[in-house]
Amino acid sequence: MTFESSPVQQQGPAPLSPQEFKATVEAILTNVEWVIEGKSHTIRLALAVMLAEGHLLLEDVPGVGKTQLAKALARSVDCSVRRIQFTPDLLPSDVTGVSIFDPEKRDFVFKPGAIFGNLILGDEINRASPKTQAALLECMEERQVTVDGNTYKLRGPFMVIATQNPVEMEGTYPLPEAQRDRFAARLAIGYPDVNAELALLDRREEYNPLDALRPVADAEMIVRMIAAARAVHLAPELKRYVVDLVAATRSNAQVRLGASPRATLQLLRCTQVLAAMDGRDFALPDDVQQLAVPVLAHRLIPTTETTMGGGDTKAIVSDILRHVPVVSHPGRY
Amino acid sequence: MSGQRHATVVAACTLALTLTPLIGVFEGLGWTFPVLLTITVVAVTGSLMRAAGRGQGLQTLAMAGGLVVVLTAGFGGGTGLLLIIPTPGTFEHWADLAAQGVAAIITQVPPVDPEGGILFLTLLGVGMVAILHDMFVVGLRTPALAGLTLLTMYLVPVSVAPDATAWFWFILPAVAYLWILADDNLRRVSAFGHRFTGTGQLVGQRFPSPMARTARWSAAGFIVTTLVALAVIPTNTSGFLDRVAQDFEGGGDAGLGDVNPWAQLSGSLHRPEEVEVLRVTTDDPNPRYLRMHVLDELNNGGFEPNEYAAGDSIDALDMPEDAQIYEAQIENLQLEAPVVPVYGTPVSLDIEGDWAIDADTGVIVGDDADMGEVDAYTLNYVDPAFDAETLASAGGMDVEDPRWEANTAHPDLPQLSEIVDREIGEGTVHEKVLAALDFLSVSNGFRYSLETGDAGNDEAILDFLETKQGYCQQYAAAMAWMLRDADVAARVVIGMSQGERDGTEWVLTSHDYHAWVEVYYEGPGWVTYDPTPSMGVPGSVTFPWATEPTAPADDPTADAGISAEPTPGSETPSAGAAEDPSEALAEGEPADDPAAQSEEDGAFGFDPAWLALLLLAAVPFVPALWRGAVRRSRLDPKRLTAQTAWDEAIDLAHDYGVALAESLTPRQAAGVLAQAAPGGREAAATLGSAMSRYRYSPKGADATGLADAVKDLHAELAKCAEPRQKYRAVFWPASLLAKLSAGQAEQSARLARRSARTADRVRGALRRPRRSNGRRDRSVTGRP
Repeated sequence: MTFESSPVQQQGPAPLSPQEFKATVEAILTNVEWVIEGKSHTIRLALAVMLAEGHLLLEDVPGVGKTQLAKALARSVDCSVRRIQFTPDLLPSDVTGVSIFDPEKRDFVFKPGAIFGNLILGDEINRASPKTQAALLECMEERQVTVDGNTYKLRGPFMVIATQNPVEMEGTYPLPEAQRDRFAARLAIGYPDVNAELALLDRREEYNPLDALRPVADAEMIVRMIAAARAVHLAPELKRYVVDLVAATRSNAQVRLGASPRATLQLLRCTQVLAAMDGRDFALPDDVQQLAVPVLAHRLIPTTETTMGGGDTKAIVSDILRHVPVVSHPGRY
Repeated sequence: MSGQRHATVVAACTLALTLTPLIGVFEGLGWTFPVLLTITVVAVTGSLMRAAGRGQGLQTLAMAGGLVVVLTAGFGGGTGLLLIIPTPGTFEHWADLAAQGVAAIITQVPPVDPEGGILFLTLLGVGMVAILHDMFVVGLRTPALAGLTLLTMYLVPVSVAPDATAWFWFILPAVAYLWILADDNLRRVSAFGHRFTGTGQLVGQRFPSPMARTARWSAAGFIVTTLVALAVIPTNTSGFLDRVAQDFEGGGDAGLGDVNPWAQLSGSLHRPEEVEVLRVTTDDPNPRYLRMHVLDELNNGGFEPNEYAAGDSIDALDMPEDAQIYEAQIENLQLEAPVVPVYGTPVSLDIEGDWAIDADTGVIVGDDADMGEVDAYTLNYVDPAFDAETLASAGGMDVEDPRWEANTAHPDLPQLSEIVDREIGEGTVHEKVLAALDFLSVSNGFRYSLETGDAGNDEAILDFLETKQGYCQQYAAAMAWMLRDADVAARVVIGMSQGERDGTEWVLTSHDYHAWVEVYYEGPGWVTYDPTPSMGVPGSVTFPWATEPTAPADDPTADAGISAEPTPGSETPSAGAAEDPSEALAEGEPADDPAAQSEEDGAFGFDPAWLALLLLAAVPFVPALWRGAVRRSRLDPKRLTAQTAWDEAIDLAHDYGVALAESLTPRQAAGVLAQAAPGGREAAATLGSAMSRYRYSPKGADATGLADAVKDLHAELAKCAEPRQKYRAVFWPASLLAKLSAGQAEQSARLARRSARTADRVRGALRRPRRSNGRRDRSVTGRP
């Protein structure tokens, strides 16, 4: 495993054809669904975030399979997977790495932290102290680590899948806005329905399906898929629609802080991936609408009144979706 | 259709059915459009008010309003505001029209031209009856009372033109009435939910009640009983059944036999088919009229034949020495009469049977003999020729003459005397005769018409003089009556006109029956005149002495007796001289003829107001037409794109009340459409994905099959829509109205912005001089 800086996107191999893309996506989805029953939509979105080079925040109550999803996704792709269990005593250097003195070389040698991998599972991210959480800021956005004045590039594909528990707040440090904004999407898994839960019981009677999971794609394939997704056409009307949506979050009376331009960018990237996963070479507003809540909701800061009134940002984004015209000139649909 | 709306339609239809007898009253069918329009407008306004939940009072008012609008449009005479809103001037105009109409009703004889006052009165009456009818049938829901309105409607043509109204027209109003009753009953049954069966067993609405058969049989029984009773019980003679009987007999081949000469005349002229009656071979190049009956007894019932007294035998006919004698061989084909038709003055007659001469009239009367037994006979006769000079100088019948009393007797008719005083006045007999001819001429507005009744009594003659329409019976009777009133001995003769030449023979048919006048001159004796316009009488003959006397030197009428020619294609012998005015005008240019001219304008007059009304009536269809045009232009293969097809689909959804938010993507919208019209799922999906591709894919979308998809979707939407929604989608398309109001909103917003800018500018211009410093200071700070 090497940690040299390597500009991945520029020299990557040729993009995949839509058919190959779709086939690979189906393979990964089938693989993950073997572990997480009845959550194909969530899994799909999670994969979309990965292929959009975004980071994923899985936020749900304990025991619904956040970590399972993250691990299954990681196992399906043959790449380096690192796991960081965020504990209150975790230090930033545990994440990024540290320079230690090598007596033989009589010099400081950089010991890379857990972040140096392709897929990083950050479990219970809100249990670490804010300073440790802050260590992720640079890695996630700039895909590099700076330690002791030296900057180390991270190899692609690079994705952080973090989980957190929204209910149990004691002893936790909620993610600051800047940190939340770096996650492309926040997904909730939710309880499985009766049939899915029964299937889950059956399957896990003898063994843990996670252990039987075999990778169906490798890092190189992921890189090619990322490149293919970037080629998906974005019509001017669609861009306008996305901008209108994001603008609507900023002007919404229930929102104190709206979505950032980074949100716009990431929404469009995810949209492209979703279109490509559907076998299309052009994106549709339907794709945007599927992604708007996961991509936008966690970035918004509602007003105090909204919070007190029991409103949440998902409802606000859904409401915005219901009101922003798909085509900006009136009378058209 | 709701019950009330259905009842409205039934009411309008029944009223229209009841109006069919008007066919006999009006000339042509030009009246149907305005009448039907009036009924429709009244029905529609009533229905609209009902739909708006207004009470009976407002409904009636609205219907009256609709009627006024129709009348203003049709008869505003340009006084209406926008041609349809009445002004005080309109009402004045209407009063004039009504007066004209009343006058026309009194003077004219059906069929009349549907124009002017009469049509106005008709529409007014029809409209008011329509309001009542609607009120009875729908508003008050007392359909039995609607019988009154229907009867009122039926009485109009019957009373105006009893003769022109055929009996069978009564069937239609009767059917209409039954329809109303049945429809109302059905509504009641529907409201109850089941038919009443009488047996306690319930039968669904759609199945006939077991009692229906009983009802049908009793109804049939009643009708038969009524008809039998009517036939048995003596009623007035012009009753319904009489007329039925007459109509049926009229078509038969009954002989033209021993009947009242008048009846024979009118019956023959009205016969639909023409039958040959006599065939004549004669050496007379121009035979005149065949004389049969002489009617010299005049009372209030008109001219009647006197009792013929069989006097001398026909052998007593003497042969004059110096006159041209013609011979005529006459073959009898059909004629049954107790008199022998003869030309001119017969000098000998070779005929089977006992025949004698009636001394007073010269009629050859059968003494127990009838023409029915005669197959042929030969007649020698002199054709008496007179000239205008002789007649002008000849006097009338001597008052002392024993025949004077019989030939001038007439009932006292002040109206007729007035006309005679005015038109005939004083003068010689010839002058009076010419004046009478003049008066009855076409140039005086008299018109030949077989449509008038066949009455010859005093009222009929006065009617004829007023309406100036009639046929030979009225012409002859009127002229003889007028002359008698002017103390001239005159009588009516019934016989046959010249007929038509067929090779060497003259063929006289049932349509050649004719009536004319004989006037007595002291000296020449009885002289024949024919006041009937020659154009009305096939084979009519001109009598050259019916003119003013001319200078004897160049009098071409000297031997007019032989030179009298048949009218068709001939000039009168006195060419260049004053002709019979009626002749001249009858053959003249139709444009010179006021009667003909009025006939030309007689058709339903074209008035810009009608056009306006037509446009107004078309207004409700404008949205539907517009929407159809928009659809066609969108689906036009030349410019069909996914966008136009999609626009059409969205508008269809709008029309059919399928709510589509602007925030829906094409696919989602297609999903909503598919939900609204499950059968159109595929079409909607096709359209949605085509639109998605068109808008968002760099390659665009293929438009083939999209027009069909739109049509499928349309059909499915229409199928799934409620009837009300469907009608609204067609006639009141929401998409169109939304577009209009959106455009209006945009325009008014633009206008508001502009006016605000203008106001700002004005305000700024006003302020600038005073506050310029302040403004400049503030602008430095960057904040105004």
